[in-house]
Amino acid sequence: MISMNGEFIAFFLLSVMAIAGAVFMINFTRVVHMILALAFTFLGIAGIFVTLNAEFLAVVQVLIYTGAVSILMLFGIMLTRHRDETRDGGRPWHAFLCFLGVGGFFALLMRIIYGSPFNGETAKTETFSVSGLGESVFKQYVIPFEVTSILLLVALVGAIILAKKERS
Amino acid sequence: MPVSSYLALGAILFCVGLYGVLTKRNAVMVLFSIELMLNAANINLVAFSKYGLYANQTGQVFTLFTITVAAAEAAVGIAILFALYRNRSTAEADRFQSLKG
Amino acid sequence: MLENAWTIPLFPLVAFFLLLFGRKSWGEKAAAWVGSLAAFASLAVSAGVLAERLSGAENSLLSFSWLTLGETVIRFGIEVDPLNALMLLIVSLISFLVHVYSYGYMKGDGRVPVFYAYLSLFTFSMLGLVVSANLLQLYIFWELVGVCSFLLIGFWYFKPEAKQAAKKAFVVTRIGDIGLFLALLLAFWYTGSLELGPIFAAVEAGQVPAEMVTLIAVLIFVGAIGKSGQFPLHTWLPDAMEGPTPVSALIHAATMVAAGVYLVARTFPLFEASPVALDTVAYVGAFTAIFAASIGLVQNDIKRVLAYSTVSQLGYMMLALGSAGYAAGAFHLMTHAFFKALLFLAAGAVIVALHHQQDIRKMGGLWSTHPGIGWLFLIGCLAISGIPPFSGFFSKDEVLASAWMDGRPGVFAVGVVAAFFTAFYMFRLFFLVFTGSFRGEGNRGSVPKSMLWPMGILAVPAVAAGFVEYPTPFFSRWLTEGTGLAAEAGGTVPLWLPVLATLASLAGVALAWAMYVKRVLPADDLTKPIPWGYRLLKNKYFIDEIYAKGVVLPYRWLGAFLRGFDRFVVSGLVRFSAGIFRTVGRIGSAIQNGQAQTYALVSLVGLVLLIIGLTAGRLFG
Repeated sequence: MISMNGEFIAFFLLSVMAIAGAVFMINFTRVVHMILALAFTFLGIAGIFVTLNAEFLAVVQVLIYTGAVSILMLFGIMLTRHRDETRDGGRPWHAFLCFLGVGGFFALLMRIIYGSPFNGETAKTETFSVSGLGESVFKQYVIPFEVTSILLLVALVGAIILAKKERS
Repeated sequence: MPVSSYLALGAILFCVGLYGVLTKRNAVMVLFSIELMLNAANINLVAFSKYGLYANQTGQVFTLFTITVAAAEAAVGIAILFALYRNRSTAEADRFQSLKG
Repeated sequence: MLENAWTIPLFPLVAFFLLLFGRKSWGEKAAAWVGSLAAFASLAVSAGVLAERLSGAENSLLSFSWLTLGETVIRFGIEVDPLNALMLLIVSLISFLVHVYSYGYMKGDGRVPVFYAYLSLFTFSMLGLVVSANLLQLYIFWELVGVCSFLLIGFWYFKPEAKQAAKKAFVVTRIGDIGLFLALLLAFWYTGSLELGPIFAAVEAGQVPAEMVTLIAVLIFVGAIGKSGQFPLHTWLPDAMEGPTPVSALIHAATMVAAGVYLVARTFPLFEASPVALDTVAYVGAFTAIFAASIGLVQNDIKRVLAYSTVSQLGYMMLALGSAGYAAGAFHLMTHAFFKALLFLAAGAVIVALHHQQDIRKMGGLWSTHPGIGWLFLIGCLAISGIPPFSGFFSKDEVLASAWMDGRPGVFAVGVVAAFFTAFYMFRLFFLVFTGSFRGEGNRGSVPKSMLWPMGILAVPAVAAGFVEYPTPFFSRWLTEGTGLAAEAGGTVPLWLPVLATLASLAGVALAWAMYVKRVLPADDLTKPIPWGYRLLKNKYFIDEIYAKGVVLPYRWLGAFLRGFDRFVVSGLVRFSAGIFRTVGRIGSAIQNGQAQTYALVSLVGLVLLIIGLTAGRLFG
C-alpha cells in the first residue's frame, strides 16, 4: 500500500517534475527552451536518485547531465543551426504511427510492470555509502572500469577526429 | 514505496524519449531524447538496487558505467552531427536518406 | 480411275497453296491459269470416275485410320458411289467454268490471286465434302465450305453490306451446323461409329430406338436447313449476293447450298427409317419453295431474285427428298446446278455490261445489244420454269410426281403453285432486263469472251440434262442401284401431271408477258387492292426484322449485361486484388524511404508485435 510518507511525497513531486520536463522538451519549439526543460528533467531524476539512497549518483547526474551534456548539446545546437526554431510537423501520418507504436509499447510495459510480482525487500540502505561504491568499482568491477576508461579515450579521440575541419 | 512506481516512472520517461527519437526532426533533439531514454533506464537500475530481489549497491555501480558511456555517446554523437552538418549543411534527421537502397 | 478418285480434291488444294504463297508476286493471268488448271484437272479425273461408274464399276471405298479413341477407330476416307460421282462431276465442272468466267468478271480487281485462292480452297472443300465416307470428315469439310463462303461473300470487305452479309451468313449457318454436330454425336453415341455404312446398318437392324433415329435425322436436316437456306434459316442466302457474282453462281446457287440437299440424300436411309423426319423435310421444303418464290415475285435486284429463286428451288429438292423421291431430289439438284449457275453467270454478264448496275428497274432492252447473253438467259429461264424439253421440266416433273405418288396432295399443290410463281418471276426478270427500252443511263459495255464461253458450255446441260431420264429412267436406276432405295415411285404417274405442271409454268410466263411486255395488266393494278400484301412480300415477310427484334436484340441485351458484368464485377475483382498488392507494395516502398526514423518506427512496431505474440498467452490469458 502506498502510504503518505515523506518518500512518497518526494517521489511524487520529483516524478512530476521529471515527466513535465520531458513532455515540455518534446513540445517546445525553441531549442533553448528544450534544453532547459531537459535539464529540469535531469534534475528531477537526480532527486529520484536521492530518494533511492544514491546520493553520489545524484551528484554525478547533476554534474554530468545537467552540466556537461546539456552544455554540449547547447554547443551542438549553436554550431549546427541557423534558425532558432525546429521545423516539426508536416509528417502527420508518421507522427500518428509513432504515437500508436510508442503507446502500444508503453501499454505493454505498464502491463508487465503491474502484472509482475516483485518480491524483493528493501535493501539495508544504511550500508550504502560512497566508500562502498568506490570499493565495488575499484575492486570487484575494476576491469569494466578500465575498459570504460579506454572507451572514453577512444570516444575523445574519435570525437576530435570527426569534428575536426577537413582540409580540402 | 513499491518498486513498481519507480519502474513506471522509468517507463514513462523512456516512452517520451522514444517518441522524441522517432519524431524529432532536429538531430540534436534526437540525441537529447536518447539521453532521456538512458536516464530512464538508470532509474530502473537504481530502483532495483534499493528494492530488488538481492538489493545491494551494485546497481549504482552499473548506473555509473551507464552515465560514463552515455557521456561518451553524447560526445561522439555531436561530433558525427558536426561532420554530417559540414557535408550536408543540415541537421535535420529526415534529410538524411542515404539508407535508401 | 476409281482408285485415283482421292486425287480429285488435291488439285485445288495444291492450287490454293500456290496462290496463297504467290499472291503478292503473281499477276491476274497467272492466278487465273493456276486456279483454272487445277479445277480442270479435277474435272478430268471426275469425268473419268463418272464414266467408270456409268460403265458399272463397283462402289469403291478408300480409307485409312485417322484417330484411335479407346475401342473406336475413326477413319478418314473417300467413297465413290453413284451419288458421289455425280456430285464430283457437277462441282468440278461448275467450279472450272466459274474459274474461267471469273477471269473476265474480276479483271482489274487488284486482289485476283486471293480470289482465286479462296475459290480453290472452296473447290477443295466442296470436293472433299462430297467424297467423305464418314460423318466427321463430312462435318470438317462442311465447316470448311462455310468458311470459304464467309471469305468470298466478304471478299469486298470494304463494302459494309458485304461485311454484314458475310457475318450473317456465317452466324446463321452455324445455327444449323450445331444441329448437324448434335446429330453426329447422337449417331456416334448410339451406333459407336461415324462411318455411314455401319450407321445405316445399325439403323436397319433396329439397334437404334425409333425416336432416336427421328431425332438424328431431324438434326441432320437442321444442318441442311442452315446450309441450304431453308426456312427459317434462309435469311443469309439473299444477303450473300453481296459477294462477287461468280461466287454467287458457284457457292450460293450450284454447289454449297446444294450441300444440304446432298447431305439429306447421303443420309437418306436414316430419313427413310423415320416417317416423322420425312414429313418434316417435305413440309419444310414445300413451305420454303412457295415462301421464297412469293418473295422473289417482287424483288428488284437481279441477283436477289435469283437468290430467292435458289432458296425456292432448294425447297423443291427438299420436298422431293421428303416425299421419298431420292432420285428426283438428286436429279433436280443436278439440273438446278446447271441452269442456276447459267442464270447467275448470265446475270453477272448483264451486271458487267451495265457497269455493276443490279437494279432491274434501270435495265431493259438488252436484247438488241447483247443477244448472246439474252439467248443464254432465256435458256436458263425456260429451264428453271420447267418448259419442255428443257432440263428443268423433267426434274420438276419428277419432283411433283414423287410428291403426288407419296400421297401428299397438299405438298403437290404447293409445288405446282411454286412452279407458277417461278415461271412468273423468272420471265418478269427476263422481260424487264432484255425487252422494252433501256431505262438506265450510260452506255452498255461489252462482255469479255472468257465470260461468254463458260456460259455457252453450261447452256448445253441446262438444255439437255433432262434426257438422262427420258425416255427411260436411266438416271434414277443408276443412282439407286445397289442402295436399296426405290428408283421411282411405285405405280404409274398420271398423264395429266406433267401437263398440269407445264400449264402452270406457261401461265406464269404468260402473266409476266402480259404485265411487262404488253402492259395490258400493269403491276400497279395488281398491287393496289392489297398494298399490305405487296409490302409484306417486298419486305420479305419482315423475317429479318422479326429476327432482329426477337433474336438479335435479346442477345444484344444479354451481351450488354455480360459485358457490364465482366466490366464491373469480374474486372472489379481483378482490379481489387491487383489493388491490394499494389497498395501493399506502395506501403512497402514508402517505408523504404531511407529515413532512419521510419526504420526505427518499423522495428518498434515489430518489437511490440513480437512481444505481444510471444507473451500473449501469459499477458492476456
